[in-house]
Amino acid sequence: MGEAAVRMKIMPESTDVDLGKLTEDIKKAVPSFARLHAIEEMPIAFGLKALIVVTIMNDKGGHSPEEIESALSKVPGVESVEVEEVGLL
Amino acid sequence: MAEQKPHLNLAFIGHVDHGKSTTVGRLMYETGAVDPHIIDEYKKEASAKGKATFEFAWVMDSLKEERERGVTIDIAHQRFDTSKYYFTVVDCPGHRDFVKNMITGASQADAAVLVVAVPDGVMAQTKEHVFLSRTLGVNQLIVAMNKIDATKPPYDEKRFNEVKDEVGKLLRMVGYKLEDIPFIPISGLMGDNLAKPSEHTKWYKGPTLLDALNNLKVPQKPTNLPLRVPVQDVYTISGVGTVPVGRVETGVMKKNDKIIFEPANVSGEVKSIEMHHEEVPEAYPGDNIGWNVRGVSKKDIRRGDVCGHVDKAPTVAKEFKAQIVVLQHPSAISAGYTPVFHCHTAQIACTITQILAKLDPRSGTVKEENPAFIKAGDAAIVMVTPSKPMVIEPVKEIPQMGRFAIRDMGTTVAAGMCMTVTPR
Repeated sequence: MGEAAVRMKIMPESTDVDLGKLTEDIKKAVPSFARLHAIEEMPIAFGLKALIVVTIMNDKGGHSPEEIESALSKVPGVESVEVEEVGLL
Repeated sequence: MAEQKPHLNLAFIGHVDHGKSTTVGRLMYETGAVDPHIIDEYKKEASAKGKATFEFAWVMDSLKEERERGVTIDIAHQRFDTSKYYFTVVDCPGHRDFVKNMITGASQADAAVLVVAVPDGVMAQTKEHVFLSRTLGVNQLIVAMNKIDATKPPYDEKRFNEVKDEVGKLLRMVGYKLEDIPFIPISGLMGDNLAKPSEHTKWYKGPTLLDALNNLKVPQKPTNLPLRVPVQDVYTISGVGTVPVGRVETGVMKKNDKIIFEPANVSGEVKSIEMHHEEVPEAYPGDNIGWNVRGVSKKDIRRGDVCGHVDKAPTVAKEFKAQIVVLQHPSAISAGYTPVFHCHTAQIACTITQILAKLDPRSGTVKEENPAFIKAGDAAIVMVTPSKPMVIEPVKEIPQMGRFAIRDMGTTVAAGMCMTVTPR
């Protein structure tokens, strides 16, 4: 049991979404039980870019990565959030 | 050069307090991944604080902060080298809420070390982790029979064999071949049979833990299986056309391939494939791609559909038989239960129509035919009917397409694998 890192891939609704603004909005939307560790743009294909977001949370229960997933899904401009990896620090 | 060695992702699993972190710490120490000088410092400090027996676990805790600083966009794992490989250690979060992400996530362990404390034997979490590692497709396993120094009497062969038998039955039940799995009596704390054979276990003739790690094989990428790319999202990009994005699970996608999306049942042709914004002629398992499809519009397909070749289309299930393990549930699960199944990128409500058998994890046999209900901790064979068309395939045929997590009321209730499918 301890601190777990959760890495997510966030896809924007379209290539027109301003990723700079989306980054700022995502930073504000991270639930308080987790903290944002890193956020970076990752080129995917045909001009589409994903945001890779790493948050850190406690794994002792009470909160799950899904809560972060669902909070970030609600940010305007987000098409999907997928948890790619979880690991204990 | 260390960098040239083949790489393996190694998961450490097992019951809490059975000594996972101590074993990892000892391995890092024995392989020179932690500066021995630093370990000595910690030893002194730990002993001064009266924690001498926990020195390695304590070293790991003390290095945790350092590791957190090391986390960037890639989740930093602990790393150690043997003479043959370099390993990154995947330390699985303890809580069940993380299970779904271990099943649907991108990270995949190539092998696992199951740590079982010999004085304690098989515990609830041992059972759960064995089942999960099988569900997650970890085919290479090493059993570290830990705390062999703490049996009564110490280094007791009889107790070792009792627990080995118990763990063996459990492994056989979920489908592991016992002849391929080393059971090694170790002490993470004292270092017995980690790097060199222990003087205390002369009755044991098998490999040390480091030998067993060197005996692992680098798994082949599943390029020989049929193409399966679960759709993550679909876009219409001006000047390009329809572009689904997703991760190739199995097989190879090439430009001009004739492809079909199921259960949407629409087909088209791959015009081009891009990865990291660069056009690639082919995409392989593990590649995150966007592919431009001719003959399919954005409204035809959606997240949860699976792309495959027309001649080997993904199987759409009318119903399927599965083996599941119930991780947590406030009451009991009986026929008629309809939670949400998370399988690849699909999330679909499915009804458990029949509980065929409850399994006894200790003997691997059927404990009860057609039980009325199952509860947390039970493993069972069930029949499942999806509420709408869904691609799922037997793990024996395409392991990547047969695993699922079952969620209900905000928690992961169970995990499982598909055994057989009745196609639509």
